[in-house]
Amino acid sequence: MSTPVTGREPRPTPTIYEPSLMTVVDLVDETVDTRTLRLEFNDEGLRESFAFRAGQFGEYSAFGAGECTFCIASPPTRAGALECTFKTVGKVTAALRELNVGDTMGFRGPYGNWFPVDDWHGKNVLFVAGGIGLAPVRCVIWNVLDRRDEFGDVTIVYGARSVDDLVYKRELEEWAGRADVNMVTTVDPGGETPDWDGRVGFVPTVLGEVAPSAKDAVAVVCGPPIMIKFSFPVLADLGFADDDVFTTLEMRMKCGVGKCGRCNIGPYYVCKDGPVFSATQLKTLPPEY
Amino acid sequence: MTEPHDLTTEAPEATTGAPGAAREAAPDRYPETGAPDETGDLHGVARHVLAKGEADVVIGWEEGRRGVRPAFVTTPDDVERLVFDTRCVHNLATYLNPRRRQVAALGRPAVVIKGCDAKAVAGLLREAQLSRDQVVLIGVRCGGVLEVAELDEPADLTPETVSPRCYRCDNREPHLVDYLVGDPQAEPPRPPKTVDERVAELEDAPVAERWHFWVEEFSRCVRCYACREVCPLCICERCVADKSVPQWIDAASHPRGNLSWNLTRALHLAGRCVECGECERACPSGLPLMLLNRKLAQAVRQRFDYVAGDDPEVPAPVGDYRLDDAEEFIR
Amino acid sequence: MSQERQTDAAPALFLAEGELAALVDELAAADVEVIGIVEAAAASPAAAAADVLHGRPALEYRVLPPGVTPLLGPGMPRLSLKGFFLPQTEALFGWRQHGADVGIERSAAATRPRVALGVKPCDAAALEIVDHVMNWDYADDPWNERRAATTVFSLACPVEDSSCFCAAVGLAPDTARGADGLLTPVTGGWVVEPTTEKGAAFVAAHAERFGPAAPALVAEGAERRRTAAERVRANLEIDADSVRDWIAGHFDDPELAALGVRCHGCGACAFVCPTCHCFDIVDETEGVGRGTRRRLWDTCQTGKFTVHASGHNPRDDQNARFRQRVNHKFSIYPLRFGEVLCTGCGRCSRECHAGQDLVEILGAIDVAARRPEAAVAAADGGEA
Repeated sequence: MSTPVTGREPRPTPTIYEPSLMTVVDLVDETVDTRTLRLEFNDEGLRESFAFRAGQFGEYSAFGAGECTFCIASPPTRAGALECTFKTVGKVTAALRELNVGDTMGFRGPYGNWFPVDDWHGKNVLFVAGGIGLAPVRCVIWNVLDRRDEFGDVTIVYGARSVDDLVYKRELEEWAGRADVNMVTTVDPGGETPDWDGRVGFVPTVLGEVAPSAKDAVAVVCGPPIMIKFSFPVLADLGFADDDVFTTLEMRMKCGVGKCGRCNIGPYYVCKDGPVFSATQLKTLPPEY
Repeated sequence: MTEPHDLTTEAPEATTGAPGAAREAAPDRYPETGAPDETGDLHGVARHVLAKGEADVVIGWEEGRRGVRPAFVTTPDDVERLVFDTRCVHNLATYLNPRRRQVAALGRPAVVIKGCDAKAVAGLLREAQLSRDQVVLIGVRCGGVLEVAELDEPADLTPETVSPRCYRCDNREPHLVDYLVGDPQAEPPRPPKTVDERVAELEDAPVAERWHFWVEEFSRCVRCYACREVCPLCICERCVADKSVPQWIDAASHPRGNLSWNLTRALHLAGRCVECGECERACPSGLPLMLLNRKLAQAVRQRFDYVAGDDPEVPAPVGDYRLDDAEEFIR
Repeated sequence: MSQERQTDAAPALFLAEGELAALVDELAAADVEVIGIVEAAAASPAAAAADVLHGRPALEYRVLPPGVTPLLGPGMPRLSLKGFFLPQTEALFGWRQHGADVGIERSAAATRPRVALGVKPCDAAALEIVDHVMNWDYADDPWNERRAATTVFSLACPVEDSSCFCAAVGLAPDTARGADGLLTPVTGGWVVEPTTEKGAAFVAAHAERFGPAAPALVAEGAERRRTAAERVRANLEIDADSVRDWIAGHFDDPELAALGVRCHGCGACAFVCPTCHCFDIVDETEGVGRGTRRRLWDTCQTGKFTVHASGHNPRDDQNARFRQRVNHKFSIYPLRFGEVLCTGCGRCSRECHAGQDLVEILGAIDVAARRPEAAVAAADGGEA
């Protein structure tokens, strides 16, 4: 039992549970407990061929600790490396945080469905995110910005509990500086610093104040459940149809490929049917997420 | 080899049961609460506690499609469902465990308990998992039970079918109760082999053989944790087996993982286990968990002169701190 | 990976009682592992007393040691056959780490040929049902390798007790689904009917052990199978399609939302179930710089199954968890894969320490689903 290799020949091909090895090429501390890793496949062929769509996720391995599920936080339009952003909460994330540049970890993916970005040609795109919920949205934001001329207005409403909790701070500045992006950053009341020049208020409230037009628009929403819950009615008031509002669900997962059974919500397997759901779909789900 | 410590023959007067307040005070309470039939009618008492609002739900036993099973009666009209006979083996004190939110949601419970179950209630009280005024205890006089609840009819107790733990039970009439029902019962038969005899037999074997025995037994463990979930005293909000930082216990059901789980479970219950045997009955692989539990009970009795009884005021060796403790390291 | 079925019904064969030991020996000599049912060692007093009261010994599936023949009679092993295809724990791969370098060591494929003789039909059928999820877009190699390496012969079942309900979920006590052939007990031996090419090849490879089945014996077997089928239908009859749709449309119905009151959440039902296939994946280190990633059985009946890293738990009490068990088996899986994730073996009811009873629960849901207002509601809201 103690060694996996028996007298018999090992499998010639990997099973679906075997990760590809990746090397940490860069890391950024977003907040005190949130880190972004930039990863490159060790295998040259994979580096070339790896492709995914905005919204898909992966299973990230810290050998000895296990696997953890995060969306891919970098856009598919920037091949060669991928990024993930995670908060240190458990065994695997703690182990991933131990990794330094040059260290090896594992990756399985891409898994799940994606935001239907290709269907949004010519549309205005609204992004609403809270806290670390910006990670999956960031993938879509860059995907859209990298193909900027295919879309109409781009509005980003992003907030966190406090200034310290804002992630991707350099990119927030970059987006704010772009003329083709309407960037609104906010922190919860009490979370501001003396030199804070953004807004103060909860994301759903600020979203209502910004009041982006729902005409020819789609919305991508991701953040803590409470933020999503209160943002949906605001979007509905603004005139967004449920079919045009998308979010990505987070569920405890192990396999990522529809086998292990733990990400069931109602009739859906989040790993296969999601993680991206429209508000229309979300409203049919039992409250088990 | 070590000699067997037969608790029952050593007549553990000192700490078992409750020589103190609870034992004397309990009988006074029956008339006070106005039970309709002091001589013991389960239906009458259940109807009374529900009708008077003493409890919102009576947890007892009912006839199911496959024998008797736990029942949750919430209206006085429904009390006729309740039964008590030799098939009523379950320790219903398990449902008082605060982890069971779906039971807590039913409201204030009254629970039907045998003497052995009363010891589990005492354990929960002793460990502050429950307060006495949160629960109504309906004691049943018991003459022993079968090991199996899934029978169409109650069967007579024979040496082969009686639950071995019932042999020389020191608490056939529970004291930690608000009501006591049923007629006094005869002593149950002696099983062909008592649990103590089985423990002694194993202890007489050479170490290598004992080791082999347990490795073989534990190899069949499927790690469903049924033993833990049915245990009235496995009260941890988060079990050590479910913790991964650090991973004390391998989750996999290989020999290392199985050994560390089963030994940890037994050790965490040393001096707390009331030997109700729920773990062993719930085990889908038929592991002889009571041998471990019993061995540890013997050790606790020998070292600390303590037997888990139904007096919540008697402190358990684990959880009791004394300035005059014999062990220096702890002072 | 559904099995190739033979279209032409081959003439039935006969395996005489006296030939069984020789057949098993022949297989052992050919280095084929034989899986069969044997008496389980009942170590605990509870298990022993239960055996006495039930008047029958506890059984288990085992890889037969040399010289042991499988029991080909009535009786249901406590654990199903699934552990031979989805082991309680298995190594997915190992790794070795040296500084920044990590090497993955693949486990060996499970390819040793095996024959399972005298499997409960409900256990064999489960294999084909679980094949769907194990091959849903991503092929689960360990499962498929074991499926491919194993020839399965089911044994027509006399129906064990009142908790059997295979007929209610579209099966039968003599189904050969998931198997390569069927054995039917008759006077002096078994009528043998291979149903796949694999089964036919097995029979052909051991032709000397099998003779032609006399028409009288075939008729005897057919009669036994007919009475067994009748018996199991009397235990439970439901309309599985209505049940599926009713559950989908009645998530918050009190009938579904309060199923877990007496349930201890121990998960024994899932562990003994032939179709429950949920698993966990864990890493185990073995000293410094090496370890194994394993998968192990897991169950939706524990709180740990769904709890998020944040502490939030989408299914926070046993009512929610038990509803998930019923929902997954009788609604989610059939909506997704076209058939119920249950073979009616009844183990969950038999093993349940608290008396949870699927026969009773399904019966009640079936009644609810047949109520006229339920049919209307299901048509309105059951599309989800």
